[in-house]
Amino acid sequence: MSNIEDLKILEGIAAGDEGIITRFYKKNLPYIKGYVLQNSGNEQDVEDVFQDALVFVYQKVKTGSLELHSSLRTYFYGVCKNIWRNRLRKNGRQIVTEIILDLETVDPSVIQEIEDKEREHVYRKHFVKLKDTCKEVLSMVFEGKSMKEISAVTGYSEGYTRKKKFECKKSLIEMIEKDPLYKELQQTPEKK
Amino acid sequence: MERTPEIFEKIEAYLSQSLPKDELLKFEAEIAKNIELQNEIEKHKSLHEVLGDKDTLAFKEKLTDISKKIKEEKTTSSFFSAKWKVAATIIVVVGIGSFLWYTSTVQNKALDLYASYYEPFPVEDVTRGESNTKFKQVIKNYNNQEYSEVIIALENITNLKDEFTLYLGNSYIKTDQEQKAIVQFEKIQKNSKYYENSRWYLALTNLKLGKIKKTISLLEEIIGYNGIYRSSALSLKEALQE
Repeated sequence: MSNIEDLKILEGIAAGDEGIITRFYKKNLPYIKGYVLQNSGNEQDVEDVFQDALVFVYQKVKTGSLELHSSLRTYFYGVCKNIWRNRLRKNGRQIVTEIILDLETVDPSVIQEIEDKEREHVYRKHFVKLKDTCKEVLSMVFEGKSMKEISAVTGYSEGYTRKKKFECKKSLIEMIEKDPLYKELQQTPEKK
Repeated sequence: MERTPEIFEKIEAYLSQSLPKDELLKFEAEIAKNIELQNEIEKHKSLHEVLGDKDTLAFKEKLTDISKKIKEEKTTSSFFSAKWKVAATIIVVVGIGSFLWYTSTVQNKALDLYASYYEPFPVEDVTRGESNTKFKQVIKNYNNQEYSEVIIALENITNLKDEFTLYLGNSYIKTDQEQKAIVQFEKIQKNSKYYENSRWYLALTNLKLGKIKKTISLLEEIIGYNGIYRSSALSLKEALQE
C-alpha cells in the first residue's frame, strides 16, 4: 500500500462504502473523462471505462491479488487507460495520447487480466439496465436457485416465474449481442 | 437459432447437470452436430458464471447508482443555477424598470415644479437707468426674451456686475444651457446683495436638471437666509419632499 489514505479507499471499495466510493468517483472521473474524450471517446465510454476499472480494482481487492507499486490513483488511471486502449484497438481506432508510461504502473500480467475481463463488463453493464423484476428473477437463476425457490421469494407462480425467466434472459442476451464491444470480443477468442 | 423457453430450460438443466441420463445423451448428440447450439450453450454458461458473482454484480449496481446520483446533483445544481440566473435577470429587469420608472417620475415632477416656480430674474430699476448703450441693449433684449442676444453680449465680459451675471445666468437657463448658468450663479459672492437671488436661481437650475438633493440643500440655505425667497423656498421644498 502506498499510504494510509489509499488503504482507507481500498477498504471502502471492498466494503461497498457509498461515501468513499462517491468521493473517489467525483475526484477521479474528471481526469479519466479528459483522457477518454481526448482519445475518440464519448461520455458513455467515460462512464463505462471508469466503472469497469473500479470493478476490476474491487475484484482484485476482494481476491487479495492487488499489488500496488505506486499510488492507488496512478494504478487506477493505468487500469482505465489500458481498458480504453484495448477498446480502441478492438475498434481499429488509434490512441492519440501516448500511454507507454502507464505500462510501468500496471503490471503486464494485469494488462492481460484487464483484457480478459472485457466480456464480463459487457454482461454486467447490460444486466444493470434490466427492469427490477428481471434482475430479481435472473439473480436467483444465476445463483442456481430452482423455479420453486424463486417463486417462494417473489410470490409469483412457478409458471409465471418460468415465463419471466425466459423473457428476461432472452432480452439480456439480445442486448449483449447488440453491444459493439461484445461483437468485437466475439472475433477475439476469450482467454481462460 | 430460435430462442424458446424449452431450449432455455434444456440448456439450464444441462449446465446444472440435472438432465436425466437419457435426455442428456440425446442432448449431447444434438450439441455435437449443432454449432449454433454450442454457441448458445457457451453464452448461457458464461452468463451464469459472470452474473452468478453476486458481490461484483452488487458493486456494479452501486456504481451505476452513484453515477446517477452524481449526474442528478449536477443537473439539480445547474437547474438551480439556471433558476437563480432567471430570477436574477427578472430582478435586474424589474429593478432597471423600476429605476427608470422612478427616475422618469422624479424627473417629470422636478420639471413640473420648475415650470411653476421659475420666473426670469426681473430687470431692476437700477439697471433700467444704465447709461452704457451696450448694456441698455442687453436689458432691452433680456426684457424682450431675446436671450441668445444677451448671451452674445455678456458671455465674454469679465467682472460683470452681479445683476448682469444674473441676467446672463437666466439667459443660459432659458436657452437650456444649465451648466453654464450654474457657473454664473456660483460667481456671485456671499457678501453680494444678489447672493440670495443667485442661490434661488441656482436651486431652480438644479431642479430643472432633476438634481433633487442639491436643490433641497440650496432651498434649505435660502430658508435659513430668511429673505425674499424664503416662502417660495419653503413651499418648493415641501412639494419636493411629498
